[in-house]
Amino acid sequence: MNSKLHTPRPYWNSYWAGFGLGLVLLASFVIMGRGLGTSGAFTTAVAAAVHKVAPSHAENSPFYAEYLGDGTRSPLKDWLVFEVLGVFVGGFISGVLANRLKLTVEQGPRSTTARRLFFAFVGGGLMGIGAKIALGCTSGQALTGGALLNVGSWAFMWCVFGGAYAVAYFFRKQWI
Amino acid sequence: MNAPFYKFGLFGDEASFIIAFFIGIGFGFFLERAGFGSARKLAAQFYFRDLSVLKVMFTAIITAMTGLYVLSRFGMVDLSLVYLVPTFLVPQIAGGLLLGVGFVIGGYCPGTSCVSAATGRIDGMVYIAGMIAGLLGFGEVYPFIVNFDHSTSMGQITLPKLFDLPYGLLVFAVVLMALGAFAAGEWAEKKFGGKEPDPDGSLIGASRRLTPVRALALGLAAVGLFAAFAGDPYRGNRTTIDTKDLAMRVGKGADLIEPVQLADWIIQGRSDFRLVDLRPQKDYAIYHIQSAQNLPLASLTPDFAAHSEKILLYSDDSLEAEKAWFLLEAQGYKSVYIVSGGLQGWKDFVLFPIKPQAATDSAFERQAPVARFFGGAPQTANASAATAATVALPKLAPPPLPAAVPTGNSTAQPRKKKEGC
Repeated sequence: MNSKLHTPRPYWNSYWAGFGLGLVLLASFVIMGRGLGTSGAFTTAVAAAVHKVAPSHAENSPFYAEYLGDGTRSPLKDWLVFEVLGVFVGGFISGVLANRLKLTVEQGPRSTTARRLFFAFVGGGLMGIGAKIALGCTSGQALTGGALLNVGSWAFMWCVFGGAYAVAYFFRKQWI
Repeated sequence: MNAPFYKFGLFGDEASFIIAFFIGIGFGFFLERAGFGSARKLAAQFYFRDLSVLKVMFTAIITAMTGLYVLSRFGMVDLSLVYLVPTFLVPQIAGGLLLGVGFVIGGYCPGTSCVSAATGRIDGMVYIAGMIAGLLGFGEVYPFIVNFDHSTSMGQITLPKLFDLPYGLLVFAVVLMALGAFAAGEWAEKKFGGKEPDPDGSLIGASRRLTPVRALALGLAAVGLFAAFAGDPYRGNRTTIDTKDLAMRVGKGADLIEPVQLADWIIQGRSDFRLVDLRPQKDYAIYHIQSAQNLPLASLTPDFAAHSEKILLYSDDSLEAEKAWFLLEAQGYKSVYIVSGGLQGWKDFVLFPIKPQAATDSAFERQAPVARFFGGAPQTANASAATAATVALPKLAPPPLPAAVPTGNSTAQPRKKKEGC
């Protein structure tokens, strides 16, 4: 076996990766008349799960009800749900092709695994809440709305960068 | 080409799911290629060590934006059919800040966490678990913050519309801003990350050659420059209607002007509105309300008057005026009203007002001179059956002097429309 086969390949140049991503986004505009998204799919999945466990609770909640549809078909039969399934598959394909598949925890040299996982959970939670307040996350708002010159998306985008830079100093030990 | 294909019904829902899956694969593939499966690489953005997030995101934005502009400009895509998330400014600012904080703490955004989990990153999987927990929590508190969540609604609005600038000009501005940010980012990477710019993969590297990356940047800048001068990318007349706002105004009757009110305005000599008679020209020639101009429905183009002008519509009854009202609303006119009841309402309440049994003489006293001003005649209730002969429309003649009208509160001074302040 050649060890070269198992070394992770370098990442693509950011501009070319961005160009590829931009073409995918453009294809979505042209074919579907909508952009990309992620958080919406997770919301649908959560709403469907809550509906499964506590049907009346979900139907009476103005939040979940929006994601359950009219009940004529499964709420999981949703455009974003299929798109996000594709994101998992596409990421996996790219990871395999570049030898980057590895069970590991991404963290800086000064971090500990327990702390990193705790923060990952908290950060994920904040993002889930933030994405719902903002009607979208970095893919649905910043990327998609950015390309459409959407007013709210640009306000959102600057605030994401602003919020992140404002607190980055306090979490530096996790990353650098 | 009629795109977006889905919106033109080229395929149905089932097929759209398959397309969604493949678009997702492309999305995930390029995110992973960029290194966004790694939280360390993503987070380095916020310490100026590695600005991949900025570069990938803005290259994607300007690629899709310029591509969509060109396709729309040449009529291949109907830009107005591409879904725009409505703007709720304050919630989006608050949500953005929260997302930014979550990004630094968690190391991912929702999209990148998927590729990180798919390539075996345990922190990515835990992040997704956290996101699900956050959504569950949000679902429970949502009823309490729903008012905040729906505040500062601006509808579906783009930057060009907000600033009233040409769409293409903003496309060009965003391209220039992105390219400037790339150069600044590469400089920061060198200064804070100690990264020498890669001669082939950077814009500001020492090499003087036109590297492929520089060619890409130049190409995007060139399309941006084209956009700045190529005009509006929308197909035909843009029609964006805030249906909720519309329904609310119709429901409240805020779209109606009472004939009596209109009569007062005319007597006062107000000229801050445009009165439009929608009836056929021959009817207009026989009789029309003073100062009205005759414009049939078809001539109500998006530029027949300034969009901020107050426009009052009437026809024989309400139907034609309602059609015109909707058309003008859709064309972006800001204050359009219907004369309540149309010309019939004008006759019943202004020209030939009938004194109701309950009305006091003094209340009717004010009405009678108004009717005479417009050449009509006040009627009494018991006479109404026998008035067929007298209720003939007045001849079109120059109105009597306003001084003859004792409306009391009227200044009778024609006011000039305010311009340009």
